[in-house]
Amino acid sequence: MTSANSGAGAAAPPPGPAPVPVLLEARRLVRDFGSFRAVNDVSLRVAEGTIHSVIGPNGAGKTTLFRLLTGIHRPTSGRVLLDGRDVTGQAPHAIARRGLAQSFQLTTIFPRLTVLESVQAAIVAASGHRADFVSRFHRSTVPEAMRVLGRVGLADHARTLAGTLSHGDQRALDVALALATKPKVLLLDEPTAGMSEAETERTIALIADLVRTGGITVLFSEHDMDIVFGISDRVTVLHQGRVIAEGTGPQVRANEEVTAVYLGGSGWGMQRDA
Amino acid sequence: MMPTAIIDTVGVLSTAGALFIVSAGLTLVFGAMRLINIAHGSFYMYGAFLLTTIAGAGTGLRFWLAVVAATIVVALIGAAVELVIMRRVYDSEHLTQLIATFGLFLIFADLALHFWGDNSRTANPPAAFAGQVAIGGAVFPAYDLVVIAAAVAVGLGLWVLLQRSGLGWRIRAAVEDPETLQAGGTNLPLLRTGMFTMGALLAGLSGAIVAPQVAVAPGMDSSIVVAAFIVAIIGGLGSVPGAALGALIIGAAETIGTIVAPTWASSFIYLAMIAVLVARPSGLLGIPERRQ
Amino acid sequence: MTVARQVLQAVARAAAGARRVRASQPGGALAPPAARATGLAGVAAVLVAFGFLLGASSLLTLEEAVGLALFAVATNLLVGYAGLVSFGQAAFYGLGAYTVALSWQHYNWPFWLTFTLAPVLGGAAAFLVGLVALRARFLYFALLTLAFSQLFYEIAENQYHFTSGANGVFGPMVPSALAQPRAGYFFVLAVVAACLAILWKVTASSFGLTLRAIRENRARAEALGINVFRQELIAFVISGVFCSLAGTLFVVYSQSAYPELLDWQQSGYAVFMVVIGGMFTFLGPALGAVIYTVGQQFLISRTADWQLILGAVLLLIVLFRPDGLAGLADSAARWLAQRVPAVMRRGAPGSKAPPRVAPVASASEGEPQHAARVPGDERE
Repeated sequence: MTSANSGAGAAAPPPGPAPVPVLLEARRLVRDFGSFRAVNDVSLRVAEGTIHSVIGPNGAGKTTLFRLLTGIHRPTSGRVLLDGRDVTGQAPHAIARRGLAQSFQLTTIFPRLTVLESVQAAIVAASGHRADFVSRFHRSTVPEAMRVLGRVGLADHARTLAGTLSHGDQRALDVALALATKPKVLLLDEPTAGMSEAETERTIALIADLVRTGGITVLFSEHDMDIVFGISDRVTVLHQGRVIAEGTGPQVRANEEVTAVYLGGSGWGMQRDA
Repeated sequence: MMPTAIIDTVGVLSTAGALFIVSAGLTLVFGAMRLINIAHGSFYMYGAFLLTTIAGAGTGLRFWLAVVAATIVVALIGAAVELVIMRRVYDSEHLTQLIATFGLFLIFADLALHFWGDNSRTANPPAAFAGQVAIGGAVFPAYDLVVIAAAVAVGLGLWVLLQRSGLGWRIRAAVEDPETLQAGGTNLPLLRTGMFTMGALLAGLSGAIVAPQVAVAPGMDSSIVVAAFIVAIIGGLGSVPGAALGALIIGAAETIGTIVAPTWASSFIYLAMIAVLVARPSGLLGIPERRQ
Repeated sequence: MTVARQVLQAVARAAAGARRVRASQPGGALAPPAARATGLAGVAAVLVAFGFLLGASSLLTLEEAVGLALFAVATNLLVGYAGLVSFGQAAFYGLGAYTVALSWQHYNWPFWLTFTLAPVLGGAAAFLVGLVALRARFLYFALLTLAFSQLFYEIAENQYHFTSGANGVFGPMVPSALAQPRAGYFFVLAVVAACLAILWKVTASSFGLTLRAIRENRARAEALGINVFRQELIAFVISGVFCSLAGTLFVVYSQSAYPELLDWQQSGYAVFMVVIGGMFTFLGPALGAVIYTVGQQFLISRTADWQLILGAVLLLIVLFRPDGLAGLADSAARWLAQRVPAVMRRGAPGSKAPPRVAPVASASEGEPQHAARVPGDERE
């Protein structure tokens, strides 16, 4: 696919063979809440080793789409494939164990665990020791946990209670928790929301580094276009639950409908996504 | 209809009526504050005890005034409890709230022993409803009709209050979006005090109304609060129509169970509740919680 | 009000003592292992010494307290560690007691057989109850567990032909050796010590860490790949096993089983012990059990208002110290450490004072903002 896939064509999955294997795929996902269709026929192919962004104004359906991918919500119709396997309707923990990790838009950490313990818990979660009530496997995970914390710049806070970290550090910890499970695909839902400019830069650099050196595939959502264009291999634009465009950064930016939506001021506001 | 069927029906409705009034109070407080009030049973017991004290041997006007007075006193106790204690724990975890109301339950139970002693008391039904009524060959206590009428009146009153006055909408908003509600000019603390008082009032009213039917004794707080939980849960916590439905189901289960297998009757009730919760975790008419 | 003052003084003394117990726990707020071992050994020595020194009636009270300590700690595996507020643990407690009592009454089975059978039955019952109750969350879970416990209660109360109904079962159902106060006390003490060691192992394990993660944030734990339902079910079964075992110990010192053991208020008292002692500590609930039992004995002989005081203590705790007495002791020690460090340093004989203060002072990570909510003892 070379040109931005605009408006009317959104119903069809992005045609054309992907150059690299597709790791995460959404096929014609639909999700209704009562009479409200939050996600409307969304298809998405995330290629291995790439950074793929989903952008769209508040209420475009980004968070709902992510919840469909991670199994928190069941799709009304459509399928989710992870590494070629159909995971539609599986429980979140089962999908997570297949290699899909996420960080949440509203920071969700373990407030009364220390930073180190939190990451240890994540490592345990991805290990075979979840129901190990005899040994203390998690003690052997300290070096690995510290490596992950070092990666997101939290090594100095290992013994701090997670709930007392600054907002930016809590978001970093959220990412560290996801990383600790050694995922194939990492879903980041507006990872820079509420961050200062410096923190945003640090986070974006971290994401780029993860993909380049960590062999991870990243799908992340943003409502700020400028943040994503620099580092994204591919950008999907959601509007009112539908895909209105998909392509590389420049292609999407040149897309008329996208421009219309942005300039039309239809809620690229500062409020949180619903 | 067979006479026995009529008797049973009236019995079910009377049992269900009293259960409905007390459970409606419990479910309203839950609906408005997401608070499970264990001391709700204490309010019920105080309603019954206060009635025996105030009405004394009176069976005329004094009885009816005593019902009103007992209800009001219990409502005032409820208001005081809310103002002094409960409003400090709304932001706490569920466990803290449960513990607080459990503490109140223990305190009220102890004080009741001081006020009314360890013995069981009885109240005389009002003279006008003291006897038996015969309909189609069926004979049953006339006072059952009083309880049924009170339940219907409470049900209608709550319906008007919640649906027609916009209070129901405010109660929902008080849980789902308190900030917006306050921004819209609603006095949230006052709303909460009001709802807690209303819950206590309904518990007190129920206790006062059933006093002539039961042995008024220590321990009735414990058994009624469990029964009210069951009714409210079966119907769906927070739903007043659910409380009515749950009360009918429990009233029927109890009556039928007593006939079919007396020693298992009380167990049936818990099994019914467990079955309902397995099939519908939010109760029959409850709205699923949207959290986490 | 003099009674109230006496209670407060007693509680304050107990709390000050508790500080020692707490700092000495494994994993206790950064206390050096040696100090922990010393503290534990000290407590054990005192409890053993009591076995030789105390008279029969005091011994019986202490025996009950030790038995209830197991009940409380097992309940806290759910309440404090997993964040599951169960109001139905009395079901398993009573099941354990009734297993011994009814097997003796109807089949004349030996105590040692039923003592082993009870935890198995408790675990099996907890598995079945958990399958249903754990489908619900928060208050619905609390109320479902309460309903199950009431179901057990109604069966015990109404199936007269088998359970003897409200009268309960009484009789010489434990071996005569254990019926001696001293032997019984040491037996209960040994069983509880062994069980607490196992439970400590469970809470400190990787499984325990995932439980705490679930307590802190269910959805996040799930998203990391933890099967929340399964972990909670395992915790529920473990708790059921040990609650049931605690119930058999009740039979050892009371030679009876009756329906009130299964009542929801019995579960409430277990939660009371957990809250009063501190749910974020391993041994806090055990301390709560001791305070509850000893306080009850002390007060019942002096005033009829046992419940009033119980209720008032609960209210005071939830309003002012949600982390329980162990947390209160922490704050008190910290306050003392700030005001009178010199006194603390030379005031107490031997090594007593410094280990008390040191862990507290260094355990302050993050506590100023959330003093009431910090799980002070679970850090490694």
